[in-house]
Amino acid sequence: MKIIDTCGAPPPADGRVEAREKVTGSGKYAAEYPVEEVCYGVFAVSTLAAGKLKSVKVEKAKEAEGVIEILTHLNKPVVSGFSDETKIRESRLGLAVFHTDRIFFKGQPIALVVARTLEEATYAASLVEGEYEAGPFELDFDKARRKATLASTGREKGSPEAWSQAAATVEAEYTIAAEIHNPMEMHATIAHWVAADRLKLYDKNQGVNNVQRTVGRVFEIPAENIEVFSEFVGGGFGSGLRVWSNTLAAAMAAKMVKRPVKLMLTRPQMFMLTGYRPASWQKVKLGADREGRFLGGWHQAMNGTSTYEDFNEWITGVTRLIYHIPNLKTEGALVPLNLSTPTWMRGPGDCTGDFAIESAIDELSYVLNMDPVALRLKNTAIDKHPNNGLPWSTNYMNECIETGARMIGWEKRPSKPLQLLEGDWATGYGMAVGAWNAGRGYASAGIVMQKDGSVSVRTAMTDIGTGTGTGMRNIAHEVTGIPKNRITIELGHSSLPAAPSQGGSTGLSSVSGAVVAVSNDLKTRLAEYAAGINPAFQGLKADEVQLTDKGIALKTNPGAVVSYHQIWEKNDLKSLELEASSGPGEERQKFAFCSTSAHFAKLRVNRRTGRVKVEKYVCVADGGKIINAQAAANQMSGAVTGGIGMALMEEMLIDARVGGLIANDLAGYHFAVNADTPVIEVAFINKPDVNINPSGAKGLGEVGIIGVAAAITNAIYNATGKRLRDLPVTPDKIIA
Amino acid sequence: MRPFAFQKMNNAAEALKDKKAEAQFIAGGTNLVDLMKKHIAQPEALLDVSSALPKDIAVSGRGLLIGVMARNTDLTLNKDILARYPLVARAVLAGASPQIRNMASVGGNLLQRTRCPYFYDVSTPCNKRKPNSGCGALHGAERMSAIVGYNAQCVTVHPSDLCVALAALDAEVKIMTREKKEKSISFRDFHKLPEATPWKDNTLPENALITHVYIPENPFHQHFAYLKLRDRTSYAFALVSVAAALHLENGKITAARLASGGVAHKPWRWYEAEEFLKGKAPSAEVFAGAAERVVKGIKPLAGNAFKVPMLKGAVETALENCITQESYKQ
Repeated sequence: MKIIDTCGAPPPADGRVEAREKVTGSGKYAAEYPVEEVCYGVFAVSTLAAGKLKSVKVEKAKEAEGVIEILTHLNKPVVSGFSDETKIRESRLGLAVFHTDRIFFKGQPIALVVARTLEEATYAASLVEGEYEAGPFELDFDKARRKATLASTGREKGSPEAWSQAAATVEAEYTIAAEIHNPMEMHATIAHWVAADRLKLYDKNQGVNNVQRTVGRVFEIPAENIEVFSEFVGGGFGSGLRVWSNTLAAAMAAKMVKRPVKLMLTRPQMFMLTGYRPASWQKVKLGADREGRFLGGWHQAMNGTSTYEDFNEWITGVTRLIYHIPNLKTEGALVPLNLSTPTWMRGPGDCTGDFAIESAIDELSYVLNMDPVALRLKNTAIDKHPNNGLPWSTNYMNECIETGARMIGWEKRPSKPLQLLEGDWATGYGMAVGAWNAGRGYASAGIVMQKDGSVSVRTAMTDIGTGTGTGMRNIAHEVTGIPKNRITIELGHSSLPAAPSQGGSTGLSSVSGAVVAVSNDLKTRLAEYAAGINPAFQGLKADEVQLTDKGIALKTNPGAVVSYHQIWEKNDLKSLELEASSGPGEERQKFAFCSTSAHFAKLRVNRRTGRVKVEKYVCVADGGKIINAQAAANQMSGAVTGGIGMALMEEMLIDARVGGLIANDLAGYHFAVNADTPVIEVAFINKPDVNINPSGAKGLGEVGIIGVAAAITNAIYNATGKRLRDLPVTPDKIIA
Repeated sequence: MRPFAFQKMNNAAEALKDKKAEAQFIAGGTNLVDLMKKHIAQPEALLDVSSALPKDIAVSGRGLLIGVMARNTDLTLNKDILARYPLVARAVLAGASPQIRNMASVGGNLLQRTRCPYFYDVSTPCNKRKPNSGCGALHGAERMSAIVGYNAQCVTVHPSDLCVALAALDAEVKIMTREKKEKSISFRDFHKLPEATPWKDNTLPENALITHVYIPENPFHQHFAYLKLRDRTSYAFALVSVAAALHLENGKITAARLASGGVAHKPWRWYEAEEFLKGKAPSAEVFAGAAERVVKGIKPLAGNAFKVPMLKGAVETALENCITQESYKQ
């Protein structure tokens, strides 16, 4: 993302750095870059779930107006990284698009029609027909999971016998339908070979360096020969963490037609070509003593995957994260289906597992006749990570719970269901918590200063809407003192300082360290230059000087200023350019790190019509230091909205008779809209974690959704006495 | 999208004269353009009638005459509608999004195609899209399908909210035929059941145009409700919807109208329940009795049995909302 000042005015001091570009539409998303001579590629996809692609009938399509070329597995120029089965496996791309005649799922690309215009390519693609040899397929997750074998997903603690006499025990099965990321911007690529071994990609993804590496490996050219632009990204939710067939096919086609090719997936194609949260089954058994101390747990989980690749969501991980459970067994299995490979979707694994665990705890609270808040506070592992035993650097889970309970008015919650009735409406309160291992990657950031004192702070990291750029600006301002409106941000381009993909809530945690480092380097460097003009600056450290819009000043004597102008003149500088890197270190051996959240819902359920109306929602989170309150709160309320969708409506619909998905568009797949949510109340603990990185910020992206679904269904139980363990809870399940 | 010719029409007569079998009329286009993008409708030519047809809404005789090019949003702002036929506005607001309502015409709303997912997916069978290819929804994803009036040919439902209100209010559809004859079709006869021709949604003759929708005067501007139950609160089609309207004199119901969307291939009237309500004082018991008459004998599909109790609850709730006017509290 490059912040170009289109109005001549400086960027706003507060709010998002990219606000103007997004609001005016001048910010460029992948498919929006003007590229000369570009032509358009549109996929034709398999109508069969499994088998062999015998041939592709392209004759009719070839005759359609404007068609330049039709790429299939039969005529493609072989991509060296896909030249044999071993290489395909090693590419870790899963689907070797156009390099196999095997059909793994309905919706798999069988041809790419390249034409002069999008309309011509779209129409011609509708004329392509595959000729198949049908094979057997499986699409019924519930049936197939019964054939899967569970295996341990972690060290077993204690023994089942140790809690066989627990005073209270609950045991139940939980299921969640597969969900689709559905970002606003469709995955798109413009591929442009500027030389035989040099490729430019304008691509929708969550990590430009990952795209460079992956595409470089497939085409067997150096990663640095691939220039990737992902300056604006219209939502990712995990769907941009892999390189998908649209990127590879665009590059293949561009090579074939010797012209830049633009390929944007349609919404229905996106449902099968960029991953999804797999369907899951879980069984949880949980036991506690009379006082509510957990004695033992047994968590079994399975998730769907494809037939050509294993994707493990590691659903049971969260059970080893939040509570001390002295006797604990966790198991998991994968269930291959004739669908494409699932992928990480917001809060992957933990979000799924958390629904089952947090539902089971709620069920246990009623068996024990104990307040669910008190029950949780009795068991939260706030001293150390319950799995690896390392002390937490910071863990404010209990504070999150206590604050949330206050905000929702938890004391008004009836201890039994069906207490707050008004006509057909029943009101209930529910809560659940979430947690996420807070990670950090190795990232670099650069800073470029001009003579006028303006700076550009830059990294290759993308901003998928989370506010990374705004966070970087705020950190640079805080460390250097340079006014915010003198700081511009550049992001999402592969020539910028390298950074990891933006995923797993590690974005700001990773890049913030580099921004702090390079900001300090700038101060030190300017102090050195200043010392040549005013000896008072001799040997000063970064924290002894302050930068202003005019120049560098002593912290102890702000009147002593050496102007940038003086420094530039004396040293004959054009601009000052610095880069620094930062990553995790030995603190990872000393501490465990987590972000936590507590979710509280008050809702009404109409027992006659099945309508659920969330009336009040409170989310309190610990994400360490909050760098930008607006962007952080925005992330949380977005995550909660996603969680409400997961709880009440999101569902990938499969019809085994037609061999795949149906209703795969925005009319058929419902995610929550504003009308489904109240104004979501968000609060932060906002205390820095001094060990995780120099900024003290932990991630927030995942933890906002982890816990939402259980808070909702627990509240529905409190309202109606109906325990709903199968998501989504659509109105028919309420009145059943 | 298949390449097509485009022509703007100046008046209805010219539009009808120029219409060839492979051409299609386009008004707001909010449905037709989708169908073209998905290769379901592939006309050779589009005749744009948006400037050729009337769009005024005016009191006429003892009723209201709505020009077919009035936008859906116009129905929610017109003061005659809000004063005398508020059920119409309420139904319109329950559907689509502001953007679509701003664009969509009244005629297009009547003529919109089903939203059955099989109809929209050319890789699946659908008798409505491709005659004699079979019904994908039957024994498939039946959740959104019909519970009355369906057959093995087609189990889909009509998607409109506006049409449910128009059916309840005994509207009439005014049309002009190619021979420039003006005719009137009663709303109950306008949409049809699938029968042996599920590819036909309605009885509008080939190469005819709707010019107006007429709503006869009625006393239902005080006690009315439109209740739409759906998987999300906005921008979703109905699982079931109910348009209810009552007229009360001296504490007794003297006239009642009940219609539903999401249950049949056409907006569905519940005549027996309407009769039952007549002459009775409104009460929870009476409304429950009406709801029982609505759902009596309904044979749902295997995959949408929930619609029967849901419909019963919706009818009771809608009738109660007529009295309390708490129509937004669903």
